[in-house]
Amino acid sequence: MATDGLGRILEGREGKPSQLVEVLQDIQEAHGYLSENVMKIVSEKLGVPLIEVFRVANFYKAFSLVPRGRHLLTLCTGTACHVRGAPLLISEAASQLGAEPGETTRDGLFTLECVNCLGACAIGAVAVLDGQVLPHMTPSKLRRLIRSIQKTEQQEVANA
Amino acid sequence: MPRLANSKDLEEERARLLERRRSYRTTLILCGGTGCQASRSLAVAEAIRDGIEARQLAGSVLLRVTGCHGFCEQGPVLVLEPSNILYCHVTAEDVPEILDATVLRGEVVERLLYTDPVRNMKIRTEREIPFYRAQDRILLAQNREVDPCSIEDYIAIGGYSALVKVLEGMAPDEVIREVHESGLRGRGGGGFPTGRKWQECRRAPGATKYVICNADEGDPGAYMDRCLLEGNPHLILEGMLIGAYAIGAQQGYIYVRKEYPLAVKHSRIAIEQARQWGLLGENILGSGFSFDVEVARGGGAFVCGESTALMASLEGRVGEPRPKDVHTAEQGLWNRPSNLNNVETWANVPHIIRNGAAWFASRGTAGSKGTKIFALTGCVKNTGLVEVPMGTSLRTIIEEIGGGVRNGVGLKAVQTGGPSGGCLPVDKFDLPVDFETLAEAGSMVGSGGMVVMDQRTCMVDVAKYFLRFLQDESCGKCVPCRLGVDRMLEIVTDISEGRGRIDQIPLLEELGETVAATSLCGLGKTAPNPVLSTLKYFRDEYEAHIRAHKCPAGVCRALISYSIDPEKCTGCGVCLKACPHGAIRGEKKAPHVIDPASCQKCGICRSECKFDSVVVQ
Amino acid sequence: MQQYVSLRINGSRITAPKGTSVLDAALSHGICIPHLCHVPGLTDFGGCRLCIVEIVRNGRSKITTSCTLEVQQDMVVRSDTDRVRRYRKNIAELLVAEAPNSRAIQDLAARCGVQEVRYPFRNEKCVLCGRCVRVCEEIWQARAIGFVGRGKKRHVDFPFGVRPDFCKKCGTCVDLCPMTITPCAGPMKRGEETLCAKCASQLSMTLKMPDHCVQCDLGKGFGCERAACA
Repeated sequence: MATDGLGRILEGREGKPSQLVEVLQDIQEAHGYLSENVMKIVSEKLGVPLIEVFRVANFYKAFSLVPRGRHLLTLCTGTACHVRGAPLLISEAASQLGAEPGETTRDGLFTLECVNCLGACAIGAVAVLDGQVLPHMTPSKLRRLIRSIQKTEQQEVANA
Repeated sequence: MPRLANSKDLEEERARLLERRRSYRTTLILCGGTGCQASRSLAVAEAIRDGIEARQLAGSVLLRVTGCHGFCEQGPVLVLEPSNILYCHVTAEDVPEILDATVLRGEVVERLLYTDPVRNMKIRTEREIPFYRAQDRILLAQNREVDPCSIEDYIAIGGYSALVKVLEGMAPDEVIREVHESGLRGRGGGGFPTGRKWQECRRAPGATKYVICNADEGDPGAYMDRCLLEGNPHLILEGMLIGAYAIGAQQGYIYVRKEYPLAVKHSRIAIEQARQWGLLGENILGSGFSFDVEVARGGGAFVCGESTALMASLEGRVGEPRPKDVHTAEQGLWNRPSNLNNVETWANVPHIIRNGAAWFASRGTAGSKGTKIFALTGCVKNTGLVEVPMGTSLRTIIEEIGGGVRNGVGLKAVQTGGPSGGCLPVDKFDLPVDFETLAEAGSMVGSGGMVVMDQRTCMVDVAKYFLRFLQDESCGKCVPCRLGVDRMLEIVTDISEGRGRIDQIPLLEELGETVAATSLCGLGKTAPNPVLSTLKYFRDEYEAHIRAHKCPAGVCRALISYSIDPEKCTGCGVCLKACPHGAIRGEKKAPHVIDPASCQKCGICRSECKFDSVVVQ
Repeated sequence: MQQYVSLRINGSRITAPKGTSVLDAALSHGICIPHLCHVPGLTDFGGCRLCIVEIVRNGRSKITTSCTLEVQQDMVVRSDTDRVRRYRKNIAELLVAEAPNSRAIQDLAARCGVQEVRYPFRNEKCVLCGRCVRVCEEIWQARAIGFVGRGKKRHVDFPFGVRPDFCKKCGTCVDLCPMTITPCAGPMKRGEETLCAKCASQLSMTLKMPDHCVQCDLGKGFGCERAACA
């Protein structure tokens, strides 16, 4: 389970330390996070010292060392979004979810992240939900969005 | 598509593609850049395709989904050619009317036309729109001509003809001389003369060399590179091919930040296509020159925009810069000669080769030639990407092109150059934008970010914002940046929260000077700029925070208070529901009251109130 | 055949083998340039920035770290200009404000002329000089520790925070660490940190900073190679 698809990702890259960042990116995309076990396998297969794999995993914001929530909500904190109310969105999201940026909600539903500019400045303030870019975000729109996802998930649990 | 064996094959293909392109009666150009996609332009594309099929117009009407036009706030943007009619905020529901009225009957759909916010009138064609008219869109204009996933489009409009000119008629040194004489300087922020960098790399000893495209555009508020790479990746590939030929490199890398998935995708598609057509790989167009390119993704680190950190990242290591006592042109990627240039720099190269150095140098100032793309954002009416000749004044960009301040609140400052740059006040708006002038004034051109600020912006808060950004992105290797930026942030935070002391201002200046002079890399060296420039031009604002414990702009939470004007409040209760801290009380239809003890001044109530009754002091 | 290069440091003409760093050249000729992350035998990476010097090349002056700068023929180097001294003092001030609980850091601050600390004291246990990391990697080739995290979160750690079995507990990392040398009177209590420079040997250094080596007591603290020679 945790090593699903690892073989495919490592194919053709064994013994190539320069591929470390790309390999970890692929694993992050596939698994949603980098587990200790997986990092040890990567260290061995790529021929990179374990401490180096650990360093790279901790250095880049793209990587998460703990499993992420089912939904990833990213808020842009770039300059243009900042003057268009990004701090308000962060306050709103944090209070709605009960989680600070970088954290996952206790029910594992959401992970809240901040990103330092997505390059979509004219449609700020920008939020990204599960890869979809949402323009002109406001606290009330965000509140409605979060609540609708929570409701859907509750219904799914009820139906199951 | 069979490989092109030589330039004759290319020219034949080009003629064929151009003829097919011209055979359409009407072309619908729809922006599919990241911004417009967020506004659902792909649904519009779907609707147009369905509509064309339903009306059996496939042979005479062409839909071209392009990259970013740079007019992002008006998206989704649709331009019709040859009439040049421009529609904005187009939805899928509008499509049938557009096809029936405009395409088939030549009638304009008035409600979809752009309204000029300055003169408050509707404008019919793209070329009449003041935002576009006042620009010089050498680079950006091509974006609307090509579908970024179509090499055929790029070739049809003349793509790769500069490469042919180079491969068949110019020696490497000639190419370098041309670029040098054009006066092109790095567009990523450093402003280093491109021709000189190429020369240095060419002369460096070693048979294996690399060319690298820095697409790690990390400055918040800047998205020029996203627009170019996402919208016209072949232009960058052509530039890199020419550079590799001139320098003697065989392998290239495009390092794209992960936050630009569309740019990553389009670059990869473009490379695959170029390989299939024989424009990348072995023996390109029979010239004997071989070159290939790979795309690498950034991992979410602003510092990787620094050249040595970027190269470390390409090598699979943490993106920490190294001292640059030896240039990367001599010892770069894997210690081999490497020429790194920004996306916009590479984009200029094919144009320079095609039109000549003198053509490029005819625009701009003595020290800063050519055009520059700026990302104009913030408190202006027209936000978007603006391309103008170097030397254009800030005022022209902000007022003529940007349409002046939005929301009727007075202009206060413009921030240029991102976290490495500075803030300039309104009385400096007549300064021409070029490398030397802005640097002398205490800011910099940087990568092109230009954020306009009005009187509701607090300059202490701006300094704090950038310091926090840099503290978050600092790699932490060297003491001045890791500890110095942190201490500067500590002081500015104290000031913004009413704990500042007047002797902290000279301390900020001295610490800033030290950090700038002694940091290991560009991030640290330019980190003090936002603080130092705001201190230089807005010192009175800092003093108000310190001496009077006031934030004149009404931003710094510790120094302001929120209250509700009972005259304006209708008692609708929206604020009460919206307040995350339960600080508002009131009966229905009666004026509501904010409890100052619980109020966290987050501002949500003010943003929700439709009656403008929340007062900030 | 060893090639030599002749250059000027603080006005004195010295000769050094090609490939030597300016810092090494200076130290071996008795010119004192304060430093922290430099350790003989380990690669220099220019992290602490204390060894900065001003060089004049092609009419332009540049400030850079002497540990990462290779000697070149006719180079003109100054470690004693007012500007360099001021920057060095400010950097040392940042360090001692961060980690005052170490004799080595206090001595360095004294040597660099710090007479007051203008920031609230913190009480960190690591200054990220990287001596431990480099010795583990370069001399023992164990790579059991490394710099983990970015910016303020940067710290030295084992992989996954757990000491791996290939760490043989050689203790060299501790031997080299400047933080393991506590002030004379014992560890400073949290909240009671202060700038030291009280004893006679330190005071004389602070008031009249020499640029040539006097084999002072200060160097013993952080293992200055010239102090080792004494």
